[in-house]
Amino acid sequence: MAVVSKRPIVIGLEVHIQLNTDTKLFCSCSTDYIGHTPNSNTCPICLAVPGTLPLLNDCAVELGSRMGLGLHGEIQRYSNFHRKNYFYPDLAKAYQITQYGLTISDGGYLDIESEGKPRRVRIHHLHLEEDAGKLVHPTADGRLTGAAYSLVDYNRGGVPLSEIVSEPDMSSPAEARDYVIRLRQLARYLDVSDGEMESGSLRVDANISLTNPDGSLGTRVEIKNMNSLKSLERALEYEISRQNKVLDSGGRIIQETRLWDDAEEVTRSMRNKETASDYRYYPEMDLAPIVITDDQIEAFKRSMPELPWEKRERFEKSFGLAYEEIAILTERKELARYYEDTVEAGAPPARAANWVRMEVLRALNELGQDITDCKVKPSALAELVKKVESKEISSTIGKEVLDVLARENITLEDAIKRTGASVGRITSESLDALIDKILGGNPDVVDTIKSGQDKKGGKLKFLQGLIMKESKGQADPREASETLAKKLEGLC
Amino acid sequence: MKMTVDREVTLRMARAAQLRIEPDQVDYMMNSINDILDFCALVGDLDCAGTPDFSWKMKKLPDRRPDIAHDWSDRDEFKSSAPAIDGDFFRVPKINAEE
Repeated sequence: MAVVSKRPIVIGLEVHIQLNTDTKLFCSCSTDYIGHTPNSNTCPICLAVPGTLPLLNDCAVELGSRMGLGLHGEIQRYSNFHRKNYFYPDLAKAYQITQYGLTISDGGYLDIESEGKPRRVRIHHLHLEEDAGKLVHPTADGRLTGAAYSLVDYNRGGVPLSEIVSEPDMSSPAEARDYVIRLRQLARYLDVSDGEMESGSLRVDANISLTNPDGSLGTRVEIKNMNSLKSLERALEYEISRQNKVLDSGGRIIQETRLWDDAEEVTRSMRNKETASDYRYYPEMDLAPIVITDDQIEAFKRSMPELPWEKRERFEKSFGLAYEEIAILTERKELARYYEDTVEAGAPPARAANWVRMEVLRALNELGQDITDCKVKPSALAELVKKVESKEISSTIGKEVLDVLARENITLEDAIKRTGASVGRITSESLDALIDKILGGNPDVVDTIKSGQDKKGGKLKFLQGLIMKESKGQADPREASETLAKKLEGLC
Repeated sequence: MKMTVDREVTLRMARAAQLRIEPDQVDYMMNSINDILDFCALVGDLDCAGTPDFSWKMKKLPDRRPDIAHDWSDRDEFKSSAPAIDGDFFRVPKINAEE
């Protein structure tokens, strides 16, 4: 349900995306840290041992540039790093190396669609920075309050991030959610990041304010600690409601950072928001500036894959699919590839779209699998769709065959045999005889239908199901329904 | 020119650094800062006239590196030199600012 606000809502997002590199931003430690022993992915550089020097990961520059290009940003020929100082031991250096002022990509936009309406969200910039380590508070509930000290794991410290800062162009929690969904999709299409919010590969901080009566921007509040799209929406909805209540009662909004408490579904004040001067930014003299040549930018552009909106447009033109179908099929490029391979293998585009959207995704969902794990080869799916289309097998049996193929690495023919069906249609004469037999064997059901008591059609469906079962799926469902209806009519 | 800090400035610095110091620690911190300032003054007073620049020529090193992981094997050495260790974690003072 959309949140109601008396005052116009203004939302800007800062999205941190963990880049798909093998090593950290400034040292050769592995970025594969999840589940590893604390501090096992560390070295003198990310532990800030005096005398060590950072050295920039070339791959991070390329991935950041690709993301910037995907966002229609201007890749900067010259950018540099700064030190952002703060008093928090999640980075051993006591400062974070980040870009400030001169960033790797400037400007740009991302077009989204939210609640049926198109919207363009402008991008302020994209910059590179290192991630911080993880603090653990040795208390029963894992919270800081009550802790005598903290523990720190620097495995994540130094992992490369790209921070994408939007302009305050969103005006509802739903728009903020849809912006993040589109951003994540872009990152995945570009192989820049896996974009998993649950594992922390994609993190969102939101800045939200309510517009003053004179039209000027109200005081903004930053919200952190939202670990899912649902959390993002709920946190923004809560904050809109809280700020409206404060203003209605004559109070004023304080510029601050608030943490979202997912369990209690409230935001809590964390600290007064630092300003840039608190961070005492100054240039990182241990790193050379990032210089990107025109040739390199051209090479990045040439290596860009087909982007989501380009794919959607092509699917519409080439396959004539509806918007909703295209949206699902192009959500992930792996699924789009799977669909295209199925069509290339001979399946009619519209039918293939139905089967992939409805049946393949259902089967994968039931098995808890991803499309990349799918055992049903596109060529097998294409053959199956063609057999159903030509009525060699019924759609009911086709779905059963698909389920078998999804579970086991066997051929289409073996899967059809496994379901007990044989390829080919039952003749009209055999269908007639089969229906007579079923009607004769179920006089109570027939009486109920004849007396007009089967108002919801449950008994009729029961008979239709029996026909499909007894014919082992060889009956054409439409022909079976029509024949059954005629015979029942004759009995009335 | 020699600089010094008094108790008031020391407390202000601690606040700016978000450090909580107990009353009996203020003099210790003030004296430590003044020791550092004394050393800076000593360095500043040195007569460096005629001393050659401390620089040397070295070939230009690359400013980026390939994305290839290396495992660092001497982590125990760092752990042993850390102020406090708790299992595999480094132990650090609790943060006051978040409360």
